[in-house]
Amino acid sequence: MAWQCTSIERLLASARPDGGWGYQSGHEPSAEPTAFACLALATAEPDADAIQHGLERLARGQQDNGAVAVAPRIAAPCWPTSLAALAWLKAGSSGGTSYAGQTRRAVDWLLHTEGLTLKSDPAIYGHNTQLKGWPWGTGTHSWIEPTAYAILALRAAGISDHPRVREAVKLLLNRAIPEGGWNYGNCRVFQNNLRPFPAQTGIALAALAGEAMSESIDSAIRYLHSELERIRTPMSLGWGIIGLSAWNERPSSAGNWLTECAARLDGRPTHPVFDSLLLLADAEQCTLTTLLEAANHG
Amino acid sequence: MDSRDQTVVHSAGGGGLSRREVIGLGAAALLGGGIAVVLPRITRNERGRRADVFIGKAPTYDGNLCNVVGDGLTTLGVSREQVRGKRILLKPNLVETTQGHAHINTNPAVIVAIAEAFRRLDAAEILVAEGQGHRRDSWLVLDESGMGAALEEAGLPFVDLNHDDFAAVPNDGGWSELGPLHLPKTLLNADWIVSVPKLKTHHWAGVTCAMKNLFGVMPGVVYGWPKNVLHYAGIAKSILDINATVKPHLAIVDGVVGMEGDGPIMGTPKQVGCIVMGRNLPAVDATCVRLMDLNPYRIGYLTEASGRLGPIHEEHIAQCGEPIASLRTRFAILSAEHLKDVAAG
Repeated sequence: MAWQCTSIERLLASARPDGGWGYQSGHEPSAEPTAFACLALATAEPDADAIQHGLERLARGQQDNGAVAVAPRIAAPCWPTSLAALAWLKAGSSGGTSYAGQTRRAVDWLLHTEGLTLKSDPAIYGHNTQLKGWPWGTGTHSWIEPTAYAILALRAAGISDHPRVREAVKLLLNRAIPEGGWNYGNCRVFQNNLRPFPAQTGIALAALAGEAMSESIDSAIRYLHSELERIRTPMSLGWGIIGLSAWNERPSSAGNWLTECAARLDGRPTHPVFDSLLLLADAEQCTLTTLLEAANHG
Repeated sequence: MDSRDQTVVHSAGGGGLSRREVIGLGAAALLGGGIAVVLPRITRNERGRRADVFIGKAPTYDGNLCNVVGDGLTTLGVSREQVRGKRILLKPNLVETTQGHAHINTNPAVIVAIAEAFRRLDAAEILVAEGQGHRRDSWLVLDESGMGAALEEAGLPFVDLNHDDFAAVPNDGGWSELGPLHLPKTLLNADWIVSVPKLKTHHWAGVTCAMKNLFGVMPGVVYGWPKNVLHYAGIAKSILDINATVKPHLAIVDGVVGMEGDGPIMGTPKQVGCIVMGRNLPAVDATCVRLMDLNPYRIGYLTEASGRLGPIHEEHIAQCGEPIASLRTRFAILSAEHLKDVAAG
């Protein structure tokens, strides 16, 4: 059986009866794995009931202010709000139910949420600490992943030109590591440039799709081409391929790498995010990129 | 040395500051920082707290580390009766990985040796668990550090604490304003929590060892990557709150090869050649700081832990095994204004 079928089966089998997915099969439902599983199944198995159940789970978890917390039992942090919005948008385009109201409120929350800025100190930090993106949790600084997810969501919602998106794009470019790529979000601390990570580089490249080519982006693409040759972990390989595909740089061996990587999931507890990322990376046109194109041309 | 330096530090700290005013404050430290400031209010008797710390010689990772750890457990009074049938959680330090930089993380040989030592004491279950502070992809960290292959060969499961189910528990420390701590259920279900850090300098906290290593039990889905919520709450205060709440049972420090300079990531390897063990983490960390030829009373979180979470004064710590003097070696500290006191030794 092709690994894609196995991954789909694992996702369907690990869906909770009351909707949604946890970070592992048997775990409590969480917003991030639920959103990614919905996005992946919408591409690979669009008729699955589990998608609607997952989207409804996300909707039930939305707070009055539009935010979606990491898990239903707690009120914060709410960084997965972007991912929930992405999942609802995909359902709106391919499913029978509209989540327009939920999406609108999520977007509103995102536009009213920002990371804290800090007084610049070039002797300590290599980045512009005044730029605002999105934090993991309110009351903290902006970092790469939550900022990139917010850009993807707001672009998919059709507001690519919003000042918050434009500033966030600047932030991502400003946080790029000179040698190429991104890590969690510090490019230099004190005297040393820090090291890039493949997953966060892929996420940032996906969020920057459609921007003008720059030295930072070109360096990041070259870094990923070099790194992915040896990486066979779902998170880093999946995001790496998604990021490169967003810039029409999908490696010719991507299919083989995904097959090798998927084999590592066999016989282990199901990680819905892993299966989802591999399926999204496998899609001929990655779902996230497709969402952006649909929004930009819609 | 300690008595003299206590006086100096006490004087420098001013003596009249509240706990909140002196621990971990400073906007410059918010993006991964804390502050290694001097702290006042040293209790000379440390409220009667005393602890044993064992130092075992281990010049390389190829030697019989299991015997060294076994000797340490015996010396510390860790008995078969205490371990039999228990679930043991080993918490290494796996922040991020880069090929050719093995000194960033706890060496896999140390983890395997500890697991074997606990197996010899009839532990029912031994697992390795970590929630990396920088790299979210735990599988990649396991691949690149060699930890994954070592664990597989030793039959040890790994749990990614960043993505585990979690529960809110009351904060037993009260130093920070974090409120209840969200802790992974795997951690809460463990009978023994063993901190297995790397002996390193830290460009914000001064040093990172057994106590700071517990940042890695805080789930990233709640605290972020890096765990910036803890930085804003104050690194020192967060270290104290986490330790007071988690109540780790044992620390076993990988001091075979440590890191000096711009730790915890960008520093350079430093050969020390030892394993340091103890059931009280402030005492273990204070001993490690002395091995680094630094002064524990100049490490903010240790000074505040003194008498509250454990002893740090050398007269209150029974040093077993190798004497500190035989292994002490000066660790270079990053040249930065906020670390001036730490570097002064």
